[in-house]
Amino acid sequence: MKNREKIGFYFVLPWIIGLLVFTLVPMIAAVFIGFTDWSIVGSNIRWVGLANYQEIFKSEQFWHSLWITFRFAIISIPLVVFTSFVISVMLSKNIKAVGVYRIIYYMPAIVSGVAVSIVFRWILDPNNGLINLVLSWIGIKGPNWLYDPEWVLPSYLIMSLWGAGGGILTYLSALKDVPTSLYESADMDGANYLQKTFYITVPMMTPIIFYNLIIGIISAFRKFTDAYVLGGAGGEGEFYMVHLYEQAFAHYKMGYATALAWILFIIIMFFTVIVNITRKYWVHTE
Amino acid sequence: MKRMVNAMKKTIGLFVVILTALILVSCGDSKPSNEFTIATWAAGTELSEFNEIVDKVNEAAEGKYVINTLSIPSDYYIKLSTQIAAKKAPEFFWLTQELISKYADLGAIVDLTDYMEKSEVLNADDYYEGVIQSALFNDKYWGLPWIANPFIVYYNKTMFNELGVTPPSETDDWSWDDFIEVSRQIAGKTYRGKSVYATVIEGNPNIETFIWSGGGDILASDGKTVLLDSEGTKRGVGNLVTLFRENLIPRYNTISYARNVYFERQEVAMYMGGIQDDFERKITLMPEADRFELGYAPIPTDPSGKSNPFDWTASTVMSQSVKDKDLAYEALEALTLAFFEWKIAPPIKGTLENIKTIAPDKVPALATIEHALANARSANYTEKWTELSDLYLWRGLYLPILQNPEVDYIDLIDKAAANMRSKIGA
Repeated sequence: MKNREKIGFYFVLPWIIGLLVFTLVPMIAAVFIGFTDWSIVGSNIRWVGLANYQEIFKSEQFWHSLWITFRFAIISIPLVVFTSFVISVMLSKNIKAVGVYRIIYYMPAIVSGVAVSIVFRWILDPNNGLINLVLSWIGIKGPNWLYDPEWVLPSYLIMSLWGAGGGILTYLSALKDVPTSLYESADMDGANYLQKTFYITVPMMTPIIFYNLIIGIISAFRKFTDAYVLGGAGGEGEFYMVHLYEQAFAHYKMGYATALAWILFIIIMFFTVIVNITRKYWVHTE
Repeated sequence: MKRMVNAMKKTIGLFVVILTALILVSCGDSKPSNEFTIATWAAGTELSEFNEIVDKVNEAAEGKYVINTLSIPSDYYIKLSTQIAAKKAPEFFWLTQELISKYADLGAIVDLTDYMEKSEVLNADDYYEGVIQSALFNDKYWGLPWIANPFIVYYNKTMFNELGVTPPSETDDWSWDDFIEVSRQIAGKTYRGKSVYATVIEGNPNIETFIWSGGGDILASDGKTVLLDSEGTKRGVGNLVTLFRENLIPRYNTISYARNVYFERQEVAMYMGGIQDDFERKITLMPEADRFELGYAPIPTDPSGKSNPFDWTASTVMSQSVKDKDLAYEALEALTLAFFEWKIAPPIKGTLENIKTIAPDKVPALATIEHALANARSANYTEKWTELSDLYLWRGLYLPILQNPEVDYIDLIDKAAANMRSKIGA
C-alpha cells in the first residue's frame, strides 16, 4: 500500500472500526442469539436451533402483529407517497410566501416521534381532541379513535400523514431538476396542466418516487415509536416492532425477539426486491 | 509524507491504548463490598422521600455499610435488565410480584429464605399471608415486600343515597350476586342529569378478580397445574360477562377516558381499585357542587364466602452479583423496615395504625383496608407468568370478552386452559 493510500485508509479507519464493532459484530451475534434461548437477565444461554423460528410461525401474536403492520403499510405507503408528491408539486410553484409554506410542511418531519405521539394523543382524544371538536362543529359525533379497536388503524393512518414532510424535501429537489425545456415543448404542443403533470412531471419524478417507496416500506414495517407510546384498543396498535420489543423486554425472550428481527429483515428485503424488480417497468431513467 | 503516516500511526496507536484503558476501567469493579446500590422507579417528590429514608438507614448503620440510590424513573425494567446483562446490576432493586419468579428462575436474584428464617426482626410470618405469597417461588422467598395495595370497592355514597340504593357495608362481606344486584339498581338511572352505570371495566380490575369471584383460579400453588377451566373460574368470568351483557357497565369500545375519571365525574357509582387510589384528595380539589361522599366496601366474596382482593405488591430483591450477602441482607432488611413507615399500606401485620400518620386521608377507610389486607392475595406465579398472562388471560380470554360480551366465554376459557397446559408443558 502506498503512503498516500495509507493516509486515506487511516482517515476511514475510525468509521471501519465503528462499522465492525457496532454493526457487523452485533449482526453476527444476532444470528447466533436467534438460535438460543437467551433471556438478557439470565446468564445461561442454551442453543435451541430452529425452535424460536418454529415457535414464531405457530404464534397467533406473530401473525396478528404482522397483519396489523402489513395492513398499515399497504395503505400508508401509497398515501404518504401521494400526499408528499402532491404537496411538493404545489410548493414548487412560484406562489407568494412559498418559503414559509415549505418550512411549515417540513417542520413536522424534524419533530421527535415521541413528541408527535403525545400531540396526537390530544388530537385524537375522543372527548377533548381537535378532530372530534372540528367534527362536532358540523354535527358529526367523532369516533373513539384509539379507544375503539375498529378506529385504531385509521388513527395511525392519519398520524402517518404527519410525516409526509420528510418526502417533500426530496421531491422538491427532484422537481427542480426536471428540464424546463420539456414543459416549453409541451406548451408549444398545447398540453394543459394535467397533461404536463402526467406526461412530464410524474415520469421524471419516478426515480425519486421509487426511492421514497423503498424508504416507505422500510419505515412502515419498522413502525414503533408512536405505536409504543399510544398503543390502541383491543391490541390493534401492536405493530410488528412493538410485538418484538415486548418479547424482548416484557417476556425476556431475547433469542425469540432476535429471530423476529431476522424475519422482519427478510420481509423487508422481500418487498424491497419485488419493488426493485418492477423498477424497469415504471421508473423513468434517461 | 512518511512523517505524516508515522504521526497518524502514533495518533491511532494512542487512541487504541486510551480506548482499551477506558474499556478495562469500565469493566473493572472497584466498589467496596460494604457499598450497595438500590435501584428504584421513584422520581420527583417520591425520590426525595426515598432518599431521606436511605440517608436515615445509612446514618443508623454508622459506616458498617452504605446504600446509594439509582433512580430509573422510565423504562425501569429495560434499563435494569441491560444492567444485569452487562454484569452491572445494582445490589438491590424493586420488582413487582409477577416478575419475581422470572428473575428467580433465571438466577438473577438471591434466595432469601434462610435469611428470613434466621432474622430476629422480620420473618415471613410478620407479613400478611397474601402479601408474602407474592415473593414465593418454588417454596422459597426471593424478595422482601415493602408495600401492599389490595383492591377495595370505592363507591359514591351521595349517588347511592339519591338513587335510593342501599350501600354495602365497609367490612361486612357481600357476595358477587349482591354486587350485580346493586349494579342493576344503579345502571341506567339518571343522576345529575346523566344516565349512569354501576362501574367501569376496561381490562382493570384484572381478570384474576373475576376468576376468583367464582371460586376459581388460574394455576395451583405448584405453579404448574392449570385450574383455569374449573367450574369456579367459569362462574367467576360469568359475573364479568353478566355485567356487560346486562349493560350494567359501559361497553369497551365506548370507553374514552381513564377508569378513575368515570368515577370522579360521577358517571359510575362504584370503582374497584387499590387502597392507594387517592380519590379523597381529588374530591377535596373539586368545585363544591361536584363533591361527593366516598364510601368503602370490600371486594365481594366468592361462593365460599371469602373475599379475594387482588393485591399489587412490590418487593426489594437482592442481586445474585452481591459479594457480601450477609451484610447485604442486613442492609436490605433495615431498608425494608424503614419503608414500612413510608407508603400505604405497610405489608406487615400490626402496622395498621401507621396509616393514620402516613395517609391521614385514608382514616375513614381503615376498617375496609384492614379487611382487604387480611384477605389480600395474588396469583400463583410461575417463571412463565408474563407470557401466560399476556397470551391466554388477556388475549385469549379477557380481551375477546371486552370486545364482544356475547362471545362463548366457556369455550374461550377451555381453549385458554388447554393452551396454557401446552405452554407450561413445553
